[in-house]
Amino acid sequence: MSETLEQSFVQQLKENQNIVHKICRLYTNDSDAHNDLFQEITIQLWKAFPKFRGDSKFSTWAYRVALNTAITLYRKSTRSVSTVSYEVQKHFFAHEEYNYEEEEKLKLMYQAVHLLNDIEKALVYMYLEDKDYSEIAETLGISEVNARVKMNRIKGKLIKILNP
Amino acid sequence: MNELDLLKKDWKKENPNYTQVSEFDIYKMLHKNSSSTVKWILIIGIVEFIVWTGIGFFFNTDDYVKSIHAEEMMIYLKVLTYLNYAVVLWFIYKFYMNYKNISTMVSTKQLMKDIMKTRKTVNQYVAYNLAMIVVSMILGFIMAFLYNPKLSVIKEKIANDASNGVLLKIIGLLTLAIVIFVVIFWLFYKLLYGILLKRLKTNFKELQKIEI
Repeated sequence: MSETLEQSFVQQLKENQNIVHKICRLYTNDSDAHNDLFQEITIQLWKAFPKFRGDSKFSTWAYRVALNTAITLYRKSTRSVSTVSYEVQKHFFAHEEYNYEEEEKLKLMYQAVHLLNDIEKALVYMYLEDKDYSEIAETLGISEVNARVKMNRIKGKLIKILNP
Repeated sequence: MNELDLLKKDWKKENPNYTQVSEFDIYKMLHKNSSSTVKWILIIGIVEFIVWTGIGFFFNTDDYVKSIHAEEMMIYLKVLTYLNYAVVLWFIYKFYMNYKNISTMVSTKQLMKDIMKTRKTVNQYVAYNLAMIVVSMILGFIMAFLYNPKLSVIKEKIANDASNGVLLKIIGLLTLAIVIFVVIFWLFYKLLYGILLKRLKTNFKELQKIEI
């Protein structure tokens, strides 16, 4: 029984691992920390997996556990801010059509997001993933109105960082 | 804000270049130990129980009480000991319930609250033990003073001292000793949990700020 549970978990996480990678990317600055956080999230997901019932998609369930782990449980805090990470750089050279101006903008944008605090990053993550505000509010445990207001403030903050 | 739209477009790309983790890697990760905040609070909590219970076992008061012939105090000590066991059991139950209730599937805010509740139980347990030690120390001093023949010299001195200066000095010294002891412990815990929960507290404050 637990064998098949483990198999099913590993299979689903493997297929959905980019969700975890994306969160690691927002919350860490180098590949060591990235892998560290990935491992911690995997452990937390596995711990919570027996309570996961198939009524929602694995990805919907997993991102919440992953965000909670990144914000509240993860303990490696040796994170230097504002350095361009190996992960980010690698990502940028992987583009097929190379638009220099766009690339440059994107790079700055990622850097700006890295300057936000943990909660703001969570909001940005959910915004980028097109989660609606009721879900964002529920995930963080705040009201929907506050989630909207906060997201608008974050947009303002990002503009300020980009145009000092 | 078109930069954010640009970011979203990039974000949504189907094949981002993340180093893919294999099934074998995931299996390996499942058997590794978590290093989460909660895990550390749990470990510290367990160590705490062992240490404090151990201290209790080490100080066998019965022999001491017999040696100074203070048998009439025995009943009070017994009551205190059993009361202590009851309280410790209650704490163990509370600890267990706290950890059982911690789930990564609730909202971020609730999760933070649950973790802090766990820490609060640890703190209460520590405070209880410190209080217990202070009470025992005072009780011990009084008993020693009343029954221990070795202290009769001091007793005589106090009896002969009309202004009570010696008595006050002794009480002052003992109080100072207790206060220093408690402060050292308090600082130790403050540091220990402060380091452990710094980020959690910062993030919790951030969430509260959103609500205002």
